[in-house]
Amino acid sequence: MNNWLNHQLQAIKLVLSRMRANLLSSFMICLVVGVAMCLPSLFYVGVDNLSKLTDHMQNETEISLFLKLDASHDTISEIDALLAKNPAIKQYHLVTKDEAWQQLQAKSKSNPDVNNAVNQLGKNPLPDAFFIQAKSIEPDDLATLKTSLQSIPGVEQALLNTDWAKRLSTIISLSKNLIFFIATLLAIVLLVIIGNTVRMQILTQQNEIEVSYLIGATNSFIRTPFLYAGVFYGLFGGLFAVLMILGITLTFNYAIADLSSLYNSDFSLTIFNGSLFLTVVSTAVLIGWLGSYLAVTRAIASIIQLQKNH
Amino acid sequence: MIKFDQVTKRYPGSDEILKNVSLHIEAGEFVFVTGHSGAGKSTLLKLIAATERPTSGTVLIANQNVSQLKASAIPFLRRRFGLIFQDHKLLYDRNCFENVILPLRINGVSGNEAAKRVRAALDKVGLLHKEKAMPITLSGGEQQRLAIARAVVSRPSILIADEPTGNLDASYAADIMAIFYAFNQVGVTVIMATHDALGMSATQNRVLHLDQGQLTQSKSSITGINQTAFNSDVSTS
Repeated sequence: MNNWLNHQLQAIKLVLSRMRANLLSSFMICLVVGVAMCLPSLFYVGVDNLSKLTDHMQNETEISLFLKLDASHDTISEIDALLAKNPAIKQYHLVTKDEAWQQLQAKSKSNPDVNNAVNQLGKNPLPDAFFIQAKSIEPDDLATLKTSLQSIPGVEQALLNTDWAKRLSTIISLSKNLIFFIATLLAIVLLVIIGNTVRMQILTQQNEIEVSYLIGATNSFIRTPFLYAGVFYGLFGGLFAVLMILGITLTFNYAIADLSSLYNSDFSLTIFNGSLFLTVVSTAVLIGWLGSYLAVTRAIASIIQLQKNH
Repeated sequence: MIKFDQVTKRYPGSDEILKNVSLHIEAGEFVFVTGHSGAGKSTLLKLIAATERPTSGTVLIANQNVSQLKASAIPFLRRRFGLIFQDHKLLYDRNCFENVILPLRINGVSGNEAAKRVRAALDKVGLLHKEKAMPITLSGGEQQRLAIARAVVSRPSILIADEPTGNLDASYAADIMAIFYAFNQVGVTVIMATHDALGMSATQNRVLHLDQGQLTQSKSSITGINQTAFNSDVSTS
């Protein structure tokens, strides 16, 4: 056990000193790993935040129920009674045509062009309307509710303004699939890059490996330092990726702060996402280990073959 | 210690390199293997060092049948040997000390104990003052001595040398031979392949002569002295 630990420590020391000796190339590899890990992660951060935003918006979605222009007070109170009985409705309020007209006039005052247009209308073109919040926020439930409201007599049109939110959430789930594929492709690229790097290192240390075999080194003795090399490329690359994600998110938040305030929103990207960072680093480590394992296993087999042919 | 029974070795696509070789080497012996190049000297040594397996016949090393050993057991068998090659097989990317410490790393010896043993081995071959030097700066004889230091640092019970003096001029070769005799004196079994009769003519050791893969001559002009019990100091690692 002590012997085993000693061997691991020696291998780690050896690998770190080799990496220090080739600082620039080691840095480059870690950078490549970092960038490759960073790309899908950033995409994920973007999509994740967007989907939180749409969830938030879907909470606020309303069904607008516009009545016919000639709807009488009786019709309005009938519909009011129907809505009050409907179990799917959380709350609703009525905006009469007069209220709507006043609101429009009040709002348009600041804009002379619109104000002119409104004044030229002369009479009120607006219908009475109910604004309804459903209990459920599921797009399907909302659609059912909308259809049932549409069929009430005296209703001109029921408008569900979640259609775009629904489309967006579809796009987002599509993007999540896309992230998976991009991440898989980049993982393959990383496997190849790390495997190749380790293979090159094995080539430069071929003499040492051959001699070590001759004087009684076991396969694991030969393999361990290279496995650690792969793991370290993954580890440092993963940490690079985390730093890059942090930096980019911070810069992005800074840039969109102005934009958000224009929309009266406090939207910003979540800066610290511990589980994402953990996933990035551990995936990178795993890929590094696997890449070097594949490379070193193949290389050892060919070196043993070479020895036999001597 | 080492026993060959009707050993034949054939490489794929070649004739038999060794034909029906039977021999027995006792612990503490100093044995020369002679013959023209291509006679099978190196193959014989490789079979002893368990870097090759026989095509037929049995090779017993310390009562272990090499053919029946699992691949995972071979490294541990090899650690009983100190191997010295004609081309040294030194690692030129590190200094003498680091070259010699390699077998100890493989054996899991580290720290002060390892450093002590490396210096002892370097001292035995007269290179203690060069521990920081890079092997490329050493002369041919010094490089071969460094290779010997590496072979003996893990205190093997058997030294196997493949033409260790082949590339050296006479005075260096005499130095090297003296070192091997010194190890043999303390009980290490030495098996040395050589095509040069000069190095061994002065001695009266056993000679295994190979001719086209056959052991034609196994003269043992001296018995007793080397076999006597010097084995206590350098027992198996």
